[in-house]
Amino acid sequence: MAKIERSQKLFLKAMKEKFQGEDPSSLNTAFLRKGLEQSERKREFLKSGRKVEMERGLVQYDPKRCHLGGIPLGQRQLMTYELSGTGTFVEGDDLHFVNNAAMQQMWDDIRRTIIVGMDLAHQTLQKRLGKEVTPETINEYLHILNHAMPGAAVVQEHMVETHPALTSDCYVKVFTGDDEVADDLEKQFVLPIEKLFPAKSAEALKAAVGKSMWQAVHIPTIVSRTCDGGTTSRWSAMQLGMTFIAAYRMCAGEAAVADLAYAAKHAGVIQMADILPARRARGPNEPGGIKFGHFGDMIQGDRKYPNDPVKASLEVVAAGSMLFDQIWLGSYMSGGVGFTQYATAAYTDNVLDDYTYYGYDYVKDKYGGAGKAPLTQDAINDIAGEVTLYAMEQYEQFPTVLEDHFGGSQRASVIAAASGLSTSHATGNSNAGLNGWYLSMLMHKEGWSRLGFFGYDLQDQCGSANSMSIRPDEGLLGELRGPNYPNYAMNVGHQGEYAAIVSAPHYSRQDAWVMNPLIKITFADPALVFDFAEPRREFAKGAIREFMPAGERSLIIPAR
Amino acid sequence: MAYTPQYGPGSTSVAENRRKYMNPGYKLENVRSATDEDLVLIMGHRAPGSAYPSAHPPLAEAGEPNDPMRKLVTPTEGAAAGDRVRYIQFADSMYNAPCHPYLRSYLEAYRFRGVDPGTLSGRQIIECRERDLEKYAKDLVNTELFDPALTGVRGATVHGHSLRLAEDGMMFDMLQRCVLDQKDGVVKYVKNQIGEPLDRPVSVGKPADDAWLKAHTTIYHSMVGTPYRDDEEALEYIKRIHSLRVKYGFMPKEA
Repeated sequence: MAKIERSQKLFLKAMKEKFQGEDPSSLNTAFLRKGLEQSERKREFLKSGRKVEMERGLVQYDPKRCHLGGIPLGQRQLMTYELSGTGTFVEGDDLHFVNNAAMQQMWDDIRRTIIVGMDLAHQTLQKRLGKEVTPETINEYLHILNHAMPGAAVVQEHMVETHPALTSDCYVKVFTGDDEVADDLEKQFVLPIEKLFPAKSAEALKAAVGKSMWQAVHIPTIVSRTCDGGTTSRWSAMQLGMTFIAAYRMCAGEAAVADLAYAAKHAGVIQMADILPARRARGPNEPGGIKFGHFGDMIQGDRKYPNDPVKASLEVVAAGSMLFDQIWLGSYMSGGVGFTQYATAAYTDNVLDDYTYYGYDYVKDKYGGAGKAPLTQDAINDIAGEVTLYAMEQYEQFPTVLEDHFGGSQRASVIAAASGLSTSHATGNSNAGLNGWYLSMLMHKEGWSRLGFFGYDLQDQCGSANSMSIRPDEGLLGELRGPNYPNYAMNVGHQGEYAAIVSAPHYSRQDAWVMNPLIKITFADPALVFDFAEPRREFAKGAIREFMPAGERSLIIPAR
Repeated sequence: MAYTPQYGPGSTSVAENRRKYMNPGYKLENVRSATDEDLVLIMGHRAPGSAYPSAHPPLAEAGEPNDPMRKLVTPTEGAAAGDRVRYIQFADSMYNAPCHPYLRSYLEAYRFRGVDPGTLSGRQIIECRERDLEKYAKDLVNTELFDPALTGVRGATVHGHSLRLAEDGMMFDMLQRCVLDQKDGVVKYVKNQIGEPLDRPVSVGKPADDAWLKAHTTIYHSMVGTPYRDDEEALEYIKRIHSLRVKYGFMPKEA
């Protein structure tokens, strides 16, 4: 067996904290049936539920009567969870997105973002209208735009406007690969690529952007939350158009305005997510339309930790599990609260971390490092097979870990994710990574004669045949797949992991971006409310109620 | 040439047990004797001795259309009588319970007619006509497929298959449907499969010892049983299947 450098049973510390006084490898335990009161958060729920009932005269949270005819939760230990890699222990309830402001803000920050090119508008101004565009006019334009984008008037008289304090998270910055132009713009308006990224990545990104200039637009959280993702381009385009009129002294109704509007709404726009088919009934900038490759660019672990591709990948797993499992599938597409329990297994207690670092070290030892494994089926089978066996053995050797991941779907996702990520790192190929995932699923199912819920009988039993194909109707490059890819469209415990598996090859190779350099640069912005380089740390802050979100309404509601 | 099922690969006792249990030619060993009434009580679908509620008239009285498929497929006893479709559901501990979800579905498909198995990680359900169900349930509870401590008949709130065992060796059950009687060492169901209290306890025998469980189980386990890693034949076969599915996903032309 390979010499393991970093696999140090990373989950053991969490097991000892969760199951205090117990041997993590013991097969037996005493089930004390302490009920709800063993959990601080459940006690808080009970108290709050009673208060709500008194205030409104209508029953609410009443688990002692309503759960299983009088048998409440907590017949076994109600565990805490460590947000992997953070050392912060939280209660499971704190990881439901309703109870976690950081989780809400992560999705808000994606949904309210749109990237709009300036080149088409500048061409219209210069060539069609004969106006001069200089760094000075661009600075003035951006000054007006940052006044207008939150919802302020710039042209007409007697207009309603939004309150600046309610929209303080709304702003627009620009970026370009042209250092000379960037230097001439006011610093407050520019995303400094060379400061935000490692030198090699910065050079590659600037070369990719070239002399073009792009606006990273973030409309107010409160707007996109009240409306939907489709609003982002409309809100943005209206304010962009009005700003051009004001900044370049245009006629409000002249035909050239239509060109600016067309550029802002269609021709020069990068939506964060594609519009979905009519049966999904969702506009653009909704989670189901985010391509996995784009998601790998939104998450910024690789920028902050370029030499730790495992950590960078695990941050994508966490962010993707939260967005795609808990919010998209769990609430947009389904209902109830169960999806959180599935999803959190992938980013708590360092279990997936341990398995993935094991795989990374196995690859280093056997093949000489990331990206050095031969691109063969045998190599995929070897890497994914070894990691699957290792992961299954950890669940067997440490019954507390098995009890931690008490659902088959949790285990299947975690084992297959470690296998797929390891294969991705080894081969530098996203489809090979996905293929490793599917071998893992077959091995898991045959070894334990069980897998996940019914959904795992669907995609995970046919993935062998489509994961290495890119022909239409048969498959697709991993980076271009997404939550609405046919086999992936309704199955918890997969999409966040897939997003990480298709991003991992790029992180290992230290590519500057996964699929879109513009998205990579936009989400590197430290002014965003959510820090996309540290999703797990941010979720932990949300869980312990230390994350300050945007879009709050306390200014316009009665003080309590 | 007649097809001879191979049932599955593997060179270990786990693989051999799987093949045996799936093979309808292998007679499952009876190890307990729960009565018809016991099983009706545990399943909780009807009162013992009561008539079978029906979903439709008996087929003989239904005036069925002239349909070649109906002539080809003989109805089961329950279907002919017009019984309701009801279920029995099991939770199997990963610590060497004899039977496990996918194997249950496979063996039920090989051994029983007119059944609809459903497979999850923590439970496996089989649905069929009620009087057929009662017949099949006897095979599933009275034979080597069942262990009183590690196999649970659980219609809802099945949580337990992956949890550590209680100090008395029983698989966790939130509803405590069955308990180990410390006086006689016998496991007794005191609630039916959806947790309604029974009028009388139903005994399902003493838990098997570790050696029997290890010899009869169908799950690989590196701590309490047969390590998966040791079954090279099974692992090689799975990788071969995966590789061939990849290859034939592209429909290659063979030389």
